[in-house]
Amino acid sequence: MKSENAIEVHNITKKFKVYLDKGRTLKERTLFSGRRKYETREVLKGISFEVKKGEAIGLIGHNGCGKSTTLKMLTKIMYPDSGSIEMNGRVSSLIELGAGFHPDMSGRENIYINASIFGLTKKEIEERIDDIIEFSELEDFIDNPVRTYSSGMYMRLAFAVAINVDADILLIDEILAVGDVAFQAKCFNRLRQIKSEGTTIVIVSHSLNQIEQICERSIWIHDGLIRLEGSPYDVHPQYMAFMAGNSLAESAAKKKAKAENGEASEEANQETENASEDTEKKDDKKDGKRWGSKEVVIDKITVLDSEGKERDTFLNSEEIIVKINYTNNAKLENSVVGVAIYRDDKVHIYGTNTLIDMSRMLPLKESGVITLKFDNIPVNAGNYIFDLAFHKPDGFEYDFWRDAFRLKIKNVKGEIGVMSIAHSWECEN
Amino acid sequence: MFKRIKEIYEYRTMISSLVKRDLKGRYKGSVLGFLWTFINPLFQLLIYTFVFSIVMRAGVEDYYMFLFVALIPWIFFATCLAGGSTCITGQKNMVQKIYFPREVLPISFVISQFINMLLSFLVIFAVMFVMRYKFNPLALLCLVPVMLTEFILALGFTFILSSITVYFQDMQFIMGILTTAWQFLSPVMYSVDRIPERFQTLYMYINPMAPIIIAYRDILYYGKVPELITLLTALAMGVTLFAIGWFTFDRMQRHFVEEM
Repeated sequence: MKSENAIEVHNITKKFKVYLDKGRTLKERTLFSGRRKYETREVLKGISFEVKKGEAIGLIGHNGCGKSTTLKMLTKIMYPDSGSIEMNGRVSSLIELGAGFHPDMSGRENIYINASIFGLTKKEIEERIDDIIEFSELEDFIDNPVRTYSSGMYMRLAFAVAINVDADILLIDEILAVGDVAFQAKCFNRLRQIKSEGTTIVIVSHSLNQIEQICERSIWIHDGLIRLEGSPYDVHPQYMAFMAGNSLAESAAKKKAKAENGEASEEANQETENASEDTEKKDDKKDGKRWGSKEVVIDKITVLDSEGKERDTFLNSEEIIVKINYTNNAKLENSVVGVAIYRDDKVHIYGTNTLIDMSRMLPLKESGVITLKFDNIPVNAGNYIFDLAFHKPDGFEYDFWRDAFRLKIKNVKGEIGVMSIAHSWECEN
Repeated sequence: MFKRIKEIYEYRTMISSLVKRDLKGRYKGSVLGFLWTFINPLFQLLIYTFVFSIVMRAGVEDYYMFLFVALIPWIFFATCLAGGSTCITGQKNMVQKIYFPREVLPISFVISQFINMLLSFLVIFAVMFVMRYKFNPLALLCLVPVMLTEFILALGFTFILSSITVYFQDMQFIMGILTTAWQFLSPVMYSVDRIPERFQTLYMYINPMAPIIIAYRDILYYGKVPELITLLTALAMGVTLFAIGWFTFDRMQRHFVEEM
């Protein structure tokens, strides 16, 4: 194992027996042995990757692709059929929250039980208990029985324990959706802090957004193999495009099958293949940087200055006007419109949408123009990438265009850093 | 193997907090709370006394005591057989989601039952004291190795049964029946001399609980030091079954999560 690595996974495979009719009892095992047929399903077909110390990676993929199984093997609650996993350092997992909680015991007693299950000794728990209680914000209730807690309080306590178990390697499975928005933000900040302290992190999540905020690298697992690996910025668009293509193909197949009432299922299959090929081709053309259901499509983007002249270079004090021409194919009444700004080294500078800004969606016509006006973009000199999107409030995307346009922004002065912050100096004498 | 022991030792806080949770949590919410731990055996003792001293004379002096000093250790063992078989499957959520040495669950189950037995023994001692039984200090000293031997034996069986139950759920119900049969095949309600002489040796060497119960009765009821051969037989069988149990458990635990 290389010394700079925290995790090395070498070509692991895993098969599961999926029983069609599982017999567990003596009667079933002896009398109906013929019925106990099973299929062997190959969940992982040979996955290898390395994670450096202090690095954060995200595992993505659709349900059943094997990402959670991979995480379970890293946690050592399952073992691979072949291949090997090497880990360097103390491992802790945020997979199950509140394990071992006893409803009749106090919050404090439950902290001891829960933390001990994560492998902490009594001394270590005592060192952390104040932090845990403080993080959970349950100071006033900590000596009440846990059964009197609301479900939000319960999860807060559970998360506070889990996040305070220091580890060299932290494995997280889809659990950041805990508590209210404020607490979620707190958890996220804590996670960033843990990362900055040099902890290696592996996250399995459906929320690409979360992964983009924490991880340097995404690994896309598809049908038990790694399909793509790289920075989230590059991998996620291709993943989304693939998923959108898949669901289009699926719905096409369903429509077809419905229309013909299953008569020519072969034909439907053909259709599916065609559909997925089509979408893949389409997306290839756009370098996998654009995806969505195409109910609303961005036709043209024009960037103007305050005098209405088209430009691609601006000072960081100048007004910038973005005009977005769209076609509303599905005649939708309204849509959320969003924008994100990245520096060209993929640092996320800013993001917002109409829901955040005005808590409403924009009304749409059959086709039209939406104007987005920046009074100024107070960043320092550099090249900036803009993403634009039309989407539903729940995140379902009509048209997501990564790298829709780029602008060069110049400094008035020679300041450094990400932002240009308004300020003044004063000398009191 | 050494690495494994070290890892289990690192999880000692988990073992102790699971034991505490079991002991404290069991009677939580009831009015008498922890007192139930003593009330239960005391009332059992009263019932046996009533039945065997007044209703059904057994022909053994102080039969209730004769029975009780064997019954308490037997109940400990029987609980480990029947209840211990579900100690992995009963914690499904934890086993499926969190890594910890799986041995922790059977170990903490047996420890918590063991502590219950010790508390019941306090009741016995109290009654013996009130009834002015003679205590033989040397014999009482022998109680320590006997209890430890029984602990190891019970842990060995819990290892075997809890891991088999994961693969084969009927095991827990089969054990319910077998435990009853086993009780009647052990010298709990009768002494060994009631067994036909030609079977006695076989009986001693086939049933690992036989020498243990004989030792308990020698110490507490007869107030004498058990014979060395009884102690050694008990120890040898205890250690053997413990080794078999742990080996079986270790072999089977790798696939627990998939089988559950």
